[in-house]
Amino acid sequence: MSVLPAALQPTRDAFLTRTTPAARLVAGVVWLVASVVTLDPIVPVRLAVAAIVVLWLWSGLPMRRIPGRLAPLGFAVLSLTVFSILLSSANGDRTLSTVAQIGPARITGPAISAGIAVGLRVVVIALTTLLVFGPSDPTRMADSLVQQWHVPDRFAYGTLAAVRVAPFMAGDWATIGAARRLRGLAPRGPVARVREAGGRLLVMLVSSIRRAERLALAMDARGFDSGLRRTHFREVRTGWRDWLTIAAAIAVAAVALFVPR
Amino acid sequence: MTEAPAGRPSGAAAAPPSIEATGLGWTYAGRRRPAIEGLTFRLEAGRVLLVLGPSGSGKSTLARALAGLVPHVQPGSWQGSLRVGELEVADTPARLLGERIGLVFQDPDSQLVMTRVDDEVAFGLENRAWSRTEMTARVPLALAQVGLSGFEHRSTVTLSGGEKQRLAIADILAARPGLLVLDEPTANLDPPGMYSVFEQLAVLAKRREHTIVLIEHRLEAALPLADDVLLMDDGGHQLAFAPAGAVGREAVELLDRSGAWVPRAWTGAGTSRAVERATARAVERAKARAVERATAPASQPAARGGRPADPSALLVEATGVRLEYPADTSGKRLALDAVSVAVHSGERIALVGPNGAGKSSLLFAIAGLLRPAAGTVRLRALPRNGEAVEPLRDPSRLRSSEIAARIGLVFQDPELGFVAGTARDEVNASARAAGGRTGTGSGGPDDLGADGALARFGLGHLAAEVPFALSQGEQRRLSLAALALRPPAVLLLDEPTFGLDRRGTEAVLALLDEGRTAGQAQILATHDPRLLPACDRVVALDRGRVVFDGSPAAFLAAPPFEPAEPWRDGVAPGPASTPRTAVP
Repeated sequence: MSVLPAALQPTRDAFLTRTTPAARLVAGVVWLVASVVTLDPIVPVRLAVAAIVVLWLWSGLPMRRIPGRLAPLGFAVLSLTVFSILLSSANGDRTLSTVAQIGPARITGPAISAGIAVGLRVVVIALTTLLVFGPSDPTRMADSLVQQWHVPDRFAYGTLAAVRVAPFMAGDWATIGAARRLRGLAPRGPVARVREAGGRLLVMLVSSIRRAERLALAMDARGFDSGLRRTHFREVRTGWRDWLTIAAAIAVAAVALFVPR
Repeated sequence: MTEAPAGRPSGAAAAPPSIEATGLGWTYAGRRRPAIEGLTFRLEAGRVLLVLGPSGSGKSTLARALAGLVPHVQPGSWQGSLRVGELEVADTPARLLGERIGLVFQDPDSQLVMTRVDDEVAFGLENRAWSRTEMTARVPLALAQVGLSGFEHRSTVTLSGGEKQRLAIADILAARPGLLVLDEPTANLDPPGMYSVFEQLAVLAKRREHTIVLIEHRLEAALPLADDVLLMDDGGHQLAFAPAGAVGREAVELLDRSGAWVPRAWTGAGTSRAVERATARAVERAKARAVERATAPASQPAARGGRPADPSALLVEATGVRLEYPADTSGKRLALDAVSVAVHSGERIALVGPNGAGKSSLLFAIAGLLRPAAGTVRLRALPRNGEAVEPLRDPSRLRSSEIAARIGLVFQDPELGFVAGTARDEVNASARAAGGRTGTGSGGPDDLGADGALARFGLGHLAAEVPFALSQGEQRRLSLAALALRPPAVLLLDEPTFGLDRRGTEAVLALLDEGRTAGQAQILATHDPRLLPACDRVVALDRGRVVFDGSPAAFLAAPPFEPAEPWRDGVAPGPASTPRTAVP
């Protein structure tokens, strides 16, 4: 029984679905670096806006499903922002004026702006990840890394196989919890809960290793890693779209970083 | 990167090889007992061999040896000789064997590597260094051979079980091996999926382009394909090797005694012995009930067919249950739609239906693990002597310790439920949680209870073993033993006989009988029609709805599915399976 949401996949051909994953990876790293080198919130704001525009126009991903997919992140963003504001060192600086006073906590303007910057970074990271991995399936990523960057087959396709079985681990985790509840062994209290999570993890590990062994045997039976140099069914070649993507990513990052408000 | 030179000239199929085993034996590293020993037979090129034997007879080991995984990938010691065509397996590099031999495994989800169908078929060809033009030509042909034309761009996760397994066969066929080895390829499949695989295998077998070795528990569908059969016992020894139509009576008896499933055609019986016995027991019970009814006051349960008049016998009441899949999967379909089921004390229900029909969802809803979007599920514990009948309660609101007395669930993969380091502690953990006999947890006399339970389930000698190290059948019995000291009122079992041979199935059924006699209600979600005659009632689900609720005989006479035949495979339809004619 499937309890997991379906993977987010492109629903139409678009500019980014025709770029190679390696190129998108480079472009994505440019944006990630740009979003973390400064505490000025304007940079992640600009990048987030750019990412949404690209997502909308050129990713081929169904926009309707993206908010739902990113919703779990909302809580993380909110709590990160709030705590960064509350715990900012700028709040202790007596030369800054107080913006708000919550009980004993004094909050200053720079603390708010730094906190927002932290939260927005997470948003940029999430959107960028979507742009890098969303437009093609994981197999293309592995093909691209092997053919363009000459990453070893064992590593690339081994990782790919791991990605493919990851959803089963989520299923196992849920099943283990259910089994324990029905046996009357659900933990009560925080200490028991932590200890129980350790036990669950162990069982999941055992079953994952079993599954990995079976998969490895099946891959061996089909001649993987037999010493022959593998050929490639799907050719991945760097094209003008890749260069354009990387150049555009650099240009946008430069604008976000250096154009004054 | 440019194209690498091809490993083999394009389009050249390996010729079907003969197989010759002479005193073949294999012992896995770290084991004392050989997995297989002294196998000696010769299978002519292009024939289909069906391998029969109980669990632990080394059938899978033989499959691995034919593919060269044993001895080239797994460690252990080899005896004798195994020749595939002109190649001696032990002396031939795995790569060379891999070009001529294809191996299909049991579990489709742990043999597919890629996420798209055409990539998946090409994976083995890439490994064998085929050129891109060869692959582009070959992939659609291999898919066509298993009836998956047009599936090239589908994601492998969207395929049904039968489609996945046919894809796994296409993966192997793509490389054009001469020998095809299939290790229980339909064990994980629902009846229609199983039939679709056998249909494709029948086509392949008729073409005689491959030598085929097939290992299967689903004998009624597999036997018609076989030219020859190899019978093995539980020690990995050969009982017989013969043409499928000429197996001696003595060999059949030995096979039966070893605990394996035996094809109906060989025993002459209408159903297998396990089912016969279970049916006989059902008849006894029915008679006993009839006597009880005749002598009891009018308020006692009156009707058969699962609707006794006594309301206190009602243990589970599901009314209009509607269950939705999480957002953004499979469109707007419901996992369960207006499902109503009543389960009474002492009743055994078979829950059947194709994959995705909602069987697991219903089990989970009854257990309170999934909360219905509409409708209600309520259940209660069995009244203990002298106690009043408790009111029906919502299982999702019960505390973990309360639910343990009311519901037990044995998962298809029992090891996911294990919590302890030894089999004995596994039983104690459950008993302790349910406030059973081992309340102190101090060992000593407590362990007598646990050891007693283990002994009753045939696990006495394994009390100190790590649960994860047990075999599949032992694990299933252990998860039943864990429930024995404080049996739940309702026992839910997901594919309880999955991967079990006839002896294992009988053992599980015998244990279930004990619980049922004590008033336990049991619901078995199963793909195996052989279990149906051992149940009191069949509930069939299709796309989230109940499409049948009645007696096993009525179900087998007219399964509510199209085509109907797969749903009674292995069980004779008609009078032979109705309890009335069976004699203990």
